[in-house]
Amino acid sequence: MTTTIGAAPVAEPEIHHRLRRRPPNSIRNGRALLMTIAGFGITALFIVFLGVLIGIKGAAGALPMVAVVTAPLAIVLWAIVRYTRARTKLAFLLAFGIAVVLSLALGFLIVTMSRLLSDPNSIFFAQLILSVPFVVAVAAAWQLGRGVAWFDGTKEKPLKAEESGARPINAPLTVAATATPTALAAAAADTVTSPASPVVTSIVGADGPVATVPAVVQPLLVVQGLKKHFPIYGGVLRKQIGTVYAVDGVDFEIMPGETFSLVGESGCGKTTLGRTVIQLTPSTDGRVVFDGYELADVDPDDMRPLRRRMQIIFQDPFGSLNPRMPVSDIIGEGLLSQGLNDRKARDKRVEDALELVGLRREYSRRYPHEFSGGQRQRIGVARALALGPDFIVADEPVSALDVSIQSQVLNLLLDLKRDLNLTYLFISHNLSVVQYFSDRVGVMYLGKIAEIGSVEQLYANPRHPYTVALLSAIPDADPRRRKKRLVLKGDVPSPAAPPSGCRFHTRCWLRERLGNPENCVTIEPELVQFGEEAGHRVACHWADEISQATVAQAEAETPAIVAAAVDDE
Amino acid sequence: MTETSTVRPGLGAPPADDILVDVRNLRTSFKVMDGVVPAVDNISFSLGKGQTLGIVGESGSGKSVTALTIMRLLDIPPAEIGAGSEIWFDGKEILSLPEGEMRHLRGNEMAMIFQEPLTSLNPVFTVGDQIAEQVKLHMKVSDKESKDRAVEMLRLVGIPSPERRAKQYPHELSGGMRQRVVIGMALSCEPKLLIADEPTTALDVTVQAQILELLKAIQERTGAALLLITHDLGVVAEMVDNVIVMYAGQVVEQGSVNELLIEPRMPYTMGLIESIPTVEKRGGRLSAIQGVVPSPFHLPPACRFEPRCPYRWETCREVPPELYPAGEGGRLARCHLHLAEASARRDAAVAQHEQNMRTGRRLTGAPDRTGNA
Repeated sequence: MTTTIGAAPVAEPEIHHRLRRRPPNSIRNGRALLMTIAGFGITALFIVFLGVLIGIKGAAGALPMVAVVTAPLAIVLWAIVRYTRARTKLAFLLAFGIAVVLSLALGFLIVTMSRLLSDPNSIFFAQLILSVPFVVAVAAAWQLGRGVAWFDGTKEKPLKAEESGARPINAPLTVAATATPTALAAAAADTVTSPASPVVTSIVGADGPVATVPAVVQPLLVVQGLKKHFPIYGGVLRKQIGTVYAVDGVDFEIMPGETFSLVGESGCGKTTLGRTVIQLTPSTDGRVVFDGYELADVDPDDMRPLRRRMQIIFQDPFGSLNPRMPVSDIIGEGLLSQGLNDRKARDKRVEDALELVGLRREYSRRYPHEFSGGQRQRIGVARALALGPDFIVADEPVSALDVSIQSQVLNLLLDLKRDLNLTYLFISHNLSVVQYFSDRVGVMYLGKIAEIGSVEQLYANPRHPYTVALLSAIPDADPRRRKKRLVLKGDVPSPAAPPSGCRFHTRCWLRERLGNPENCVTIEPELVQFGEEAGHRVACHWADEISQATVAQAEAETPAIVAAAVDDE
Repeated sequence: MTETSTVRPGLGAPPADDILVDVRNLRTSFKVMDGVVPAVDNISFSLGKGQTLGIVGESGSGKSVTALTIMRLLDIPPAEIGAGSEIWFDGKEILSLPEGEMRHLRGNEMAMIFQEPLTSLNPVFTVGDQIAEQVKLHMKVSDKESKDRAVEMLRLVGIPSPERRAKQYPHELSGGMRQRVVIGMALSCEPKLLIADEPTTALDVTVQAQILELLKAIQERTGAALLLITHDLGVVAEMVDNVIVMYAGQVVEQGSVNELLIEPRMPYTMGLIESIPTVEKRGGRLSAIQGVVPSPFHLPPACRFEPRCPYRWETCREVPPELYPAGEGGRLARCHLHLAEASARRDAAVAQHEQNMRTGRRLTGAPDRTGNA
């Protein structure tokens, strides 16, 4: 792709769809408890029914009463759950009040009736059945009460799959059926020269021109100030004693049809970032905007239709496939949760997905252990494709594979990208693969982006000392290009205690050459535009000091045995 | 150990004095439930004193088993060393050595660095003690001297404040630091042969660069011979003089690193080098080797690479290829392309390889998604 996609400065992302906010945990727990009561009622009914069947004395007497209690209770509880999703305070209070009054009244009725009938067995059953849901109901009320402030009166409707831009789940999964709005925009992106200048492009479909779209290409994904912190608990009381700053303020955007890569060493937060972007883990702070949908902190129910559009390929082809499931279930699970309940239709789509990744249709009956590493990774790719996504996070998809298999899978990913108009967020520690595979690259170090730019900019003209060191460290298989390397001191510091100022200053070779300037330790450099090159951003105070000459000199001065760590203790 | 201590009859002549390791017709197989797995099938190579040799191959090609056989670290059974196999180390045939003498050699004369440093270190002893234990055992020195030696080794491998680090446990060290400890341990008795089995595979790229530079510097300083086992052609290019490429238990190509990596002469090696992503191949498809490594129970009858080979013809399915001479400087390749009558095919294959190296294959035409085994 030779267009200047992604070259525009970060602009405010356009939000054109609003999703419901994620309910607070207290509300979610309260709902879950209410569902427990409903479940209890149904179970109780079943037990009593069994009692009748095997002829326990008195069970038959309890049956109608249990039925009388549980049936309306379950209906009312369902209504409450329904209305807490509607999230108006009045509806919630009303529904909950009705539920409590009704269940108490029914309980009173049953106990009175049992007394009237003077049947000790049914009294026992009635009390047993009513006491447990009552306790749970009190707990649910307490939980819901804590979350009452959340009922802010917003009246957004749940997001329907049809509105999300996702492809229909029962449509055949073929290369032709991919003309979603994003796909059209991606096709348009190939022809525009700058994303900022509106160009009218006509898209030619199979039957001639189908649409004329004004192609101001918006980024498919915008990430702004994204943070993901993990608490560390310790001590007898499991108090929080620290924080892992896994991702600590990251900005980037991905244009439709682009491959954006994140590179960095293990522990730099690239995998966490990938998972947070598609909301597999909720973010701590910051924004993620996907095709106009604000994703951070949204209701999981509204996330569900969007999940069809954003999928992930996991790193470990052995750990990410359940050994107890046949391939049809592994791939079909996502389809099932998206409402494709018809077994035949599901299997057909699973087989389509297998065919798409170059596996035989009949493999869907096999189990993961029957496949080689490369084939397993293909199954992982098929699982991501089965839902017809347009954005895929590929988390180290080839690092667990042998070289000859690695290139097969890379080729497959490239073919699929071309045929299905996919957009990739490609996460890797292998700089050669990234250079070959991607359009733009972000280099991560300790939860932050150190440098970002197109492959050409970054590999030919690196401006962050860390990028320079990474590039210098790649062993080149061509002995003609053998050279002395710039070797960094020590290891990546712990993300639980990142260094002050510039996070790289403890290992920085440039800082050493410049005589350890003060601002590296005190001021955290921001990711700013570098020079005239559009889209090339660097987070270094001294980016101007880097040139071919300084790098060559630094490489030449690397001592033969580099210390394993910076000894500051 | 069931082997006899007497010198086996029918041994060949000892190798020349400047050869440290001479492996001849080595066959190592494993008896398993489903049959016999020929992990290493008739390989021969030699490594001169102070020289470096790389063994390259995919997982399952038999490169680690070769190293373990040289160290005699395989349990017999299930492992089985074929009749006629010989391993000469420093003028001695070591496959027929009694275990006691072998134990003396191991650690003292030959040492091994494993892939995963955490599993090769004992978690309940300090790293200093673990190095000192070996020094005490092999060099017959006092406790004090062995501890000093351990600290000295840690300093040699670039660990700062080695006195303090020597008192730490493996879990207190980072991955790169642990691998340095393992290297220090391997070097503590000044071995003549250092075998490094994927020494940097578990490490990050900047730490890998540190460890490779360290190995290089130490190898130059101590003059030990290095046998480096890896799947990474980049690491091989940086580290060694000569290379052996293994495939399905056999040596398929052999030569000096400069020649072999620039002008590979066996289609498997060509394919491996072509499949490395480089900047020249951007925008094109990588020319991947089709298919997968054959199962050791169902090896192809003649050439083992034949089912995956883009240049195969009838002969390849009928006659098992030998290691033919393939160029200057002792280049060998197990491929019929190097028979005199196949010279036209060879030239075509080499031309195709050079073409693939320049451009990669274009992303045009029908999608090519072969993945069926």
